[in-house]
Amino acid sequence: MTTDLSWLIDDRPAEGVFRVNRAIFREPELFDLEMRHIFEGGWVFIGLASQAPAAHDFFTTRAGNVPILVMRDGEGQLRAFVNSCPHKGAQVAQTQQGNSRLLVCPYHSWTFDSAGRNRGIKWQRAGCYAEGFDRDSHDLAALPHFAEHAGFLFGSLAADVPPLAEHLGEAARFLDLVVGQPEAGIELVPGAVTFTYDANWKLQLENCSDAYHFTSTHPSYIKIMERRQRGEGAVAVRSVWAESQAWREEAEGVQGGSYSFDHGHVLNWGRIGDAESHPLHESAEAIGARHGGAGRDWVFNMRNLTIFPNLQIAENASSQLRVIQPIAPGRTLMRTWCIAPKGESGAARRQRIRQYEDFFNPSGMATPDDTIIYESCQRGHASRVDPWLQGYARGMTASREGGNMLSDAIGAAPARSVLADSQLCDETLYHAYYREWARRLGPLLP
Amino acid sequence: MTLTRAEAEELLYREAALLDDGLWDDWLDLYTEDAVFWMPAWREEETPTADPDSELSLIYYEGRTGLEDRVVRARSGQSVASKPRPRCVHCISNVMVVRSDSETAETAASFVVHLHDVRAGRSHAFFGRYHHRLRREDGAWRIAGKKILLLNDMIPAVVDFYSV
Repeated sequence: MTTDLSWLIDDRPAEGVFRVNRAIFREPELFDLEMRHIFEGGWVFIGLASQAPAAHDFFTTRAGNVPILVMRDGEGQLRAFVNSCPHKGAQVAQTQQGNSRLLVCPYHSWTFDSAGRNRGIKWQRAGCYAEGFDRDSHDLAALPHFAEHAGFLFGSLAADVPPLAEHLGEAARFLDLVVGQPEAGIELVPGAVTFTYDANWKLQLENCSDAYHFTSTHPSYIKIMERRQRGEGAVAVRSVWAESQAWREEAEGVQGGSYSFDHGHVLNWGRIGDAESHPLHESAEAIGARHGGAGRDWVFNMRNLTIFPNLQIAENASSQLRVIQPIAPGRTLMRTWCIAPKGESGAARRQRIRQYEDFFNPSGMATPDDTIIYESCQRGHASRVDPWLQGYARGMTASREGGNMLSDAIGAAPARSVLADSQLCDETLYHAYYREWARRLGPLLP
Repeated sequence: MTLTRAEAEELLYREAALLDDGLWDDWLDLYTEDAVFWMPAWREEETPTADPDSELSLIYYEGRTGLEDRVVRARSGQSVASKPRPRCVHCISNVMVVRSDSETAETAASFVVHLHDVRAGRSHAFFGRYHHRLRREDGAWRIAGKKILLLNDMIPAVVDFYSV
């Protein structure tokens, strides 16, 4: 069943129209549906396999509002559970990470092994339980679906979802190249950074893919890069940004573009190029040997990947993994890490970290200008006078069905693509977000 | 002459007042050329990151030029997060001289910074602990290192050098 959603998403490709109603950022009823049917009703990113590398390692996270526990058992098998005791609901794992053969619920001491099996109900024989109790499983509830792709773990709290490979589709190819994906794998640099902003989660979803805002929102960051290039600023924080053409308005020719995929995943990219200050510079040869020349060239582009709805990986002078966690229509929690190839040199890791802190942190010189703008947009979205936003129209006549020679070269087949000069700054890639949003929520709306 | 607690308090309170008043050139003058400014992140619930070369920090600069960059940005008029500047007041307490000889000293202190973001109509507070390394230069104590251990690190959109 499909429902007419045109009062929220005005999608008329034949007429060259795509508009989004401010209501989708604001209305509590829509937010409740998003939480139930997107974040708690389909595939979401829940962590990296390298967060629980050894037998009996575990880490905790959330899917929507639901606490999640990911554990590796004694045989090395990873599983994901609802982190909630079947007895009374308390979390059986209390910490963000740990290692334990047995998890004992702190409320009434029900005990579970690292495969999630119930290993003990305190004073069970004396408990005068009836037969009905014995017919229930007392194990931790496993997520209906849990799967890995290239070290990235995804789970679904709903049973009726397609296999992960189908959900990721052609976007999976871009996970295969994150930070050059060495044979040793990928990891999170120790030190998680968490911040909130008082605006809707979809503002973060969009901004990650927004090539149009950089020179407008971040001129102060560009000013610092130019200062450092002149040798006036922090010498310890050299950056490939300073050497890049991607954000220079006068740069000519193809400077980047966008790809969009089925199921709401999108990617935008821009040229940076290999440079000595790039943390992957030392690995260029190894990346070429593993992923081919086109794969090697690709990882030296600036690129922002969104795996709908909650995973974003931003790679430029450094590399960030972001998890979007909606709290309320006007409030979002962001959990962020520096993601890195395992086994890179100390010098490259240091360079990656320094560039990360300056650009990506809420204590840095770029991200706060984004989040403060989201809050500004959210205040603006109270308006019903002019409900239709006009931020989805750039690139309409440049968007092509299928990929292009650059995606062909790395063996990816996106649903749509745009090749851009430095000023095109495609906005049609957001259409993929909202078409998926409409596909998921449409049947539920009146 | 070693650092007295009164001298330590005087220096920390002066730094606080300069940050609160936006007198950032005078604030930079408190720092030595080679000053290290460090606000660690947290590995997990109970452990902050300890090695800035292999672990993430919230802020890490080796050398005052990093702080000068931050001041340039905050004053540029080109950072929407930095203007209008939030109103803030640093409250510093529990000041101790941890170690001192005639040329160098270390101090420990606790802080609460109350902030009011007028644009968002939002007040909140950052709190944590300071560890300062001081060095005598031209007869005056200067800051050669400041470590800020931010305890409530779920950050409402922005944290900057002037708000911790």
